[in-house]
Order: sequence, then structure tokens, then C-alpha cells
Amino acid sequence: MIFPLIQSDFLKIKRKGMWLLCLIGPFGVVALQMVNYGVRKDYLFEQMDDRWLYYLLNINTFTPLAIVLGIVILTSFMSSIEDETNAWKQLVALPVSKRSVYLSKFTVISCILFLSSVLLFLFVFGYGLTLGLGEDIPYLRLMEYSFLPFFAALPVLGLQLWVATISKNQAIPVTLGVIGVIFAYSAPLLPDWMIWKWPALSNDWGHAYINALLGIGFGVLLYLLGMVDFKRRDVK
Amino acid sequence: MISVISSEWYKLRKSKVLLLLLVAPLVGLFIGMSSSLGDIGAINPWYEKLVMMNFTYAVLFLPLISGVLASVICRYEHQKGGWKQLLALPVTRGKVFLSKYVLLLLLIFVMQLLYLVSIYLVGMIGGITEPFPMDIVWKTIVGGWMATFPLIALQLWVSIAFKSFAAPFAINVIFTLPTILVINSERFGPYYPWGQPFLMMNIGGSAEDFFFVPWDQILMVVGGSFLLFFIGGYLYFQRKAI
Repeated sequence: MIFPLIQSDFLKIKRKGMWLLCLIGPFGVVALQMVNYGVRKDYLFEQMDDRWLYYLLNINTFTPLAIVLGIVILTSFMSSIEDETNAWKQLVALPVSKRSVYLSKFTVISCILFLSSVLLFLFVFGYGLTLGLGEDIPYLRLMEYSFLPFFAALPVLGLQLWVATISKNQAIPVTLGVIGVIFAYSAPLLPDWMIWKWPALSNDWGHAYINALLGIGFGVLLYLLGMVDFKRRDVK
Repeated sequence: MISVISSEWYKLRKSKVLLLLLVAPLVGLFIGMSSSLGDIGAINPWYEKLVMMNFTYAVLFLPLISGVLASVICRYEHQKGGWKQLLALPVTRGKVFLSKYVLLLLLIFVMQLLYLVSIYLVGMIGGITEPFPMDIVWKTIVGGWMATFPLIALQLWVSIAFKSFAAPFAINVIFTLPTILVINSERFGPYYPWGQPFLMMNIGGSAEDFFFVPWDQILMVVGGSFLLFFIGGYLYFQRKAI
């Protein structure tokens, strides 16, 4: 029952520029480093012996911001598709459960974000090769910095989707998103329990995968909370 | 003209939008309280706070939130054919565009003032005893405000063009994120309109210039991009089928 819903959600976002955003996000992150390395390659090479690692760290200064902002845009977009034409009512009047409506939105956005992560991996890898960062390509770290931010950002997705679906006025989720970006940007100053810190992959334990595991756990939790709340809420 | 602006104001007055303005001082408090640069050799603890707070505030927050505000004041018209009703009144499209723009300017100015209050509060809570450097601070507040003129002109344009919040926000993000890198560049930084809020709020900038950047940069970059975006939006709105 869920698959037709997901299909219809994919149909709704067709030719609305969402897929373009999915491409622009990872491309933008790498393009910024292209400019950075293009302008001051020699200086950046001197910063750390492990040039690959330094390159990945540079990439990772923008990945969390791009992911958080991407989530804000996608969730707000998904819900405004229904808001604009008052389609929530029609959608839940169909013989589908409200839970699967919510799950389908969540799945579609996750798919787009995951595809973005795959593209990020390809772009980062590709551009890294042309830079001549050394023979030892740290594949594992490359995977970490491409895919773990996505998992670590799932709680933000859960929260933003929740707020976006229940708000009539999309200014609320978008403003929350702006605050979230400020948090993501100030990640080094935040305590470890704040969900906006996690996509930056830094924590006191020093293992990036902890952020991803926490992200999956709290992502599921916030998703369930949002779903239960959406189910109980009156659709106006 | 005044009556068009006041009708715009009535639409906003009792809405929750004004709460949006309060986000600015809260973010200011958060940045100010959460971090300390350590000793950066500033002559005065106020300067230290200002450098740190203005950075995050002006690079990311101010451009992003001003775009949100631009979408907010077009929201009523996008809902249920509001543009038709508004433009059926004896007002010209030019006046509607201009009054929306002026209202945005006022809102952002109020937001800047609230941010000023938050700077003061951060200093008070932090126990800074030196006198508040008002002669510098007001320049950053007014300078940052002036630097948003072109940005909100563009955001008003795209907010009128798109019904949803997400599309104007996406465009805003695409231009705002690169600022973090661009402002590091001596060569390109001064020419990037989205970098201007930071440059005009950066008290570490050249001290002999009135707004921390040379006047010709303000006129050329801020003024030029303002004219481009404002006239573009104005003409677009004149021709838009509603």
C-alpha cells in the first residue's frame, strides 16, 4: 500500500526543481572547494601532511550546512505542495492511512537526500583525484564523510518534516531551519546532545559512526513522534 | 502611498510574524553566550564580542532571515487569490511593490535594533564594565541594514514569482552559503553582494572608512546590485499575470 503512495509523491515533485536541488547541493559543496583549492592550492597543501584528510575536512565544513538547508527546503516544499491546493484533505480522504501518508513523505525526502550523498561521494572522489592529493586514497574516510552526515542528519529531517506538515504558515519551519543552520554552523561550540551538531561528525568520543548511529536512533524516534502527532491532528 | 504601506502593515500587525523578529536577538544571545574567541588582542572586550557575534549573524543569519521575511509579506497575496483582490483596488502595481519593499526595510531595521539590544545584553551578562562603544555599534547596525537592501529586493522579486516558501529560500541559500568562503578572498569578497552584510558589520575592517568598507564599494556593489534587483523585480511585477 505504501508503494503507490511513494510513487504518487514522486510524481508530485516531478519537474519542480527538486531533482535539480539534489544535484546542486553536493555539486555546490564540491564547487566551493574547487574555488578554494583553485585559488590557494599551495597554501592548503601545507596545512596538513595528510592532504586527503585535510581536503575531506574542508569538504565537511559545508556538508552539514548543505544537508540541513536541503532538509529545510525539501520538507517545506513537500508540505507546501499539499498546502497550496488544500490537498491534505483530499489526500487523507483517500483509502490510505495517515501513517503511510507521513511515511511516504519521509521516504521520498530520504531517497532524495541519500541520492545527494551518493553524488557527493562521486564528486568528492572525482575532484580529489584531479587534485593530486597523494597515492593513498582513504576510501573508508571518503565513505564516512559522504554518507555519515546523511544518517546523522535524520533527526533534523524528522523534526523539520514534523513542523512543516503541521504548520499552515511555512514561515515557522523555515525560520526553525535558519536557526538550525546557525546551530550547524556553530557546531564546535555546541554540546554533544544537540541534533544540529551531529552532521558535523565531531564528538567527544572521536568516532564519527557514533553520530550516525545516534542520528538513526533519534531520527526514528522523531519520525515516530511526528507520525503519531500527524495522525491525531485534525486536517484543516 | 502612505495608505498602501499602512494597509500592508495592518495585514502583518496581529500576525505571528512579528515574533519572527524576536528570533534575531535570540540568535544574537546564543552566539554571544556560547562562544569565546579567547584573547584576540582586541582593545576592549566589547570589540571581541562584536567581532564574534557579527560574523555568524551577518554571514548566515541576516541574509537568510531577510529572505524569509520577504516571503512572509507576500504570503497573504499568494493565498486564495490575494493578488487579484489587492490589485483590483485603485492602486498601481508599482506602489504595491514599493510599499512591500519599504515595509521590509522597516522590519529589518527593527530586527537590527533588537540585535543591538542583544549585543548589549550579552555584554551585561558577561560582566563587561567598559562603556558600550555606541559610536562603533550603530555603524554596524546601520551598515548591515543598508547591505541587505539589494538582497531583499531580489528576495521580494522571487517571493512574488513563487508561491511556495521553499523556492525563494532555495535561491537565497544558493547565494548565501558561498559567502563563508568568498569573504576570505581579498579579490572577490568586495564584489559579492551577499558578502556585504558581513563586510559592513565587520568592525575589524578598515577603520578609516565610515562603514568599514570604502564608499565607492558601497555605491558600486550595494547600490548597483540594489538597482539591478529592484528594477528587475519592479518590471517583473508590472508584467506578471496574476
